[in-house]
Amino acid sequence: MSTITTGLNMGGPMAPPGTPEEVDYSVAPEQVSLWQDAWRRFRRNKLSMAGIVVFGLIALIAIVSIFWTPYSLFQQGLGDITDPFSRAHPFGLDASGRDELSFLMRGAQVALEVGLLTAVTTSVVGIAAGLLAGFFRGWVDTLISGITYIGYGIPNLLIAFLILFITNRPSIVNVIVALSVTSWMDMARLVRGQTLALREREFVEAARATGTKDFKIMTRHVLPNALGPIIVQATFLIPQAILFEAFLSYLGFGLPNPDPSWGAMVSSGLGDRFLAYHTIMVPALALLITLMAINFIGDGLRDALDPRQAK
Amino acid sequence: MASLLEVKGLKTQFFVRGGRVRAVDGIDFRVNRGETVGIVGESGSGKSMTALSILRLVPEPGKIVEGSITFDGRDVLAFNDDELRKFRGNDVAMIFQDPMSSLNPVLKVGFQIEEAMKAHDRFTKEQAKERVPGLLSRVRIPDPKRRADEFPHQFSGGMRQRVMIAMGLSNEPGLLIADEPTTALDVTVQAQILEQLRDLNRELGTAIVLITHNMAVVASICTWVVVMYAGRVVEQGPTEAIFAAPQHPYTWSLLRSIPRIDEKLGSKLLTIKGLPPDLTNLPPGCKFHPRCLFAVDRCLTEEPELVTVGPGHESRCWVQMKNVKDPDADLRETPLVADEEAADAAAV
Repeated sequence: MSTITTGLNMGGPMAPPGTPEEVDYSVAPEQVSLWQDAWRRFRRNKLSMAGIVVFGLIALIAIVSIFWTPYSLFQQGLGDITDPFSRAHPFGLDASGRDELSFLMRGAQVALEVGLLTAVTTSVVGIAAGLLAGFFRGWVDTLISGITYIGYGIPNLLIAFLILFITNRPSIVNVIVALSVTSWMDMARLVRGQTLALREREFVEAARATGTKDFKIMTRHVLPNALGPIIVQATFLIPQAILFEAFLSYLGFGLPNPDPSWGAMVSSGLGDRFLAYHTIMVPALALLITLMAINFIGDGLRDALDPRQAK
Repeated sequence: MASLLEVKGLKTQFFVRGGRVRAVDGIDFRVNRGETVGIVGESGSGKSMTALSILRLVPEPGKIVEGSITFDGRDVLAFNDDELRKFRGNDVAMIFQDPMSSLNPVLKVGFQIEEAMKAHDRFTKEQAKERVPGLLSRVRIPDPKRRADEFPHQFSGGMRQRVMIAMGLSNEPGLLIADEPTTALDVTVQAQILEQLRDLNRELGTAIVLITHNMAVVASICTWVVVMYAGRVVEQGPTEAIFAAPQHPYTWSLLRSIPRIDEKLGSKLLTIKGLPPDLTNLPPGCKFHPRCLFAVDRCLTEEPELVTVGPGHESRCWVQMKNVKDPDADLRETPLVADEEAADAAAV
């Protein structure tokens, strides 16, 4: 059998005779915007979607914990720390006989509060610094970049301690301030780099040629075009902040007892390690799952929004 | 008639490690109200820098070191930052070469045009919003209300350039500078855009400075031509005069390097040998002499001034083409028959 091949139907199965391929010529393929396209790429990433689901659950638990926890955080002597997990206390009890699950739920609230608020404040500071440095260059850039590099040189723990000692009253605000002061530099550097590249783009020149004000060029033309990498960076700031807060709390410099930070829970659990392990393991696992979920989301966002940086 | 824009002795230089790049080296020209002026030259002849200098948008490390730019009787070089901002877009608008990159990809097209108007106070916010569809339909974008709500990536190259023109016109400027507006576009689209510019010039009376390396573009819409070489004006005058009888060898060479429909069969196209000069280290005498077919001894040492050669027509040359007898001579050396035989051979 011989097949006649023409340039038009090389390769691929031939349609049976009499059934012309149906092509709808009336509509152009759907046009998608940058964000729709990113969302499409993001959805394909199974780990990230799982991360979103887990993060959503944690957020839900955190919100619920504001209004309701199985037991009051102040209710002691509900049982013994050595009691096995039960239906009444799925994650057991701590040394004072308080319900571990209730603490864990409220801990999620603290973690998310610290993580999200720090990410927001850090981003705001970093974006402002980076935009100014990258856009105006010259001495503004020298000054801001100088401060950035000095910031890198100072150990963040030291700054955190300093702020906590000066204010002398551990609180969530102090933790957020301490974290923001020590972690805005990455964002500033990222935004500065993006701004340096974007300010040379033709649409920025075109905006300048139409007499647009500098502030507007920065907010309307530079910033929105740098939003992809900024969102990715901000996402990675969240677990960083949660971890640092847990670390501070573990050292006893975080939130005051009985504020149920996961770090503080691990820390107090450590004292009871000869009685039971779950008081360490449960908050540590919660921390692990939360951080992983956010990191997966961040990875997915990076691949979706910033394809050039993808590994 | 008082001219709208007057550039006198303008020098724009870039201070780089290797020395000073004399991008624009003392140019004079004027644009009258409602006139269409073409600035022609090779890459690196300083035509874009002239345009950017007018808006004082010369990028670092460039600087306007000398000369004057007067727009509507006002000294542009004396403007402070705020006056300058109000001048840009409001009095003089500019459209750029590549429409693909001169629109912000993340903002809706209509919004960007609106923003251009909001930067100035000729129109209120409400007026700005209302004017968008009208502006888009003026540049013949169909279904302007819907298109205004779309993003740049949903527009083709020609359409985007139309949007840029609409944006440039949004504040009803007296002068529109178009820096190679058709270079990045298909030939058919080029013609449409040029026609568009010509119509706008006629209907609105907006003066246009068209920067291009394409003589055909100049011929199609400009009434006045400025030919630039190595940062200076080598010839300028009314379009007809320049095309009919170019006086500077550079202009003549440019025109002879374009195929013409009325060309005699067998005649060769001219190529201008060599490259434009190094702007940090310009040759002495006439800057074109190393590439000039008609250079004489004087060209090597002395730089000529712009000399009036006809009504409004000036040329910077010691020789002037009108004094050259039969300049086409060596372009006609190929015998006609040999060419046809070669063509036949190639066809078989």
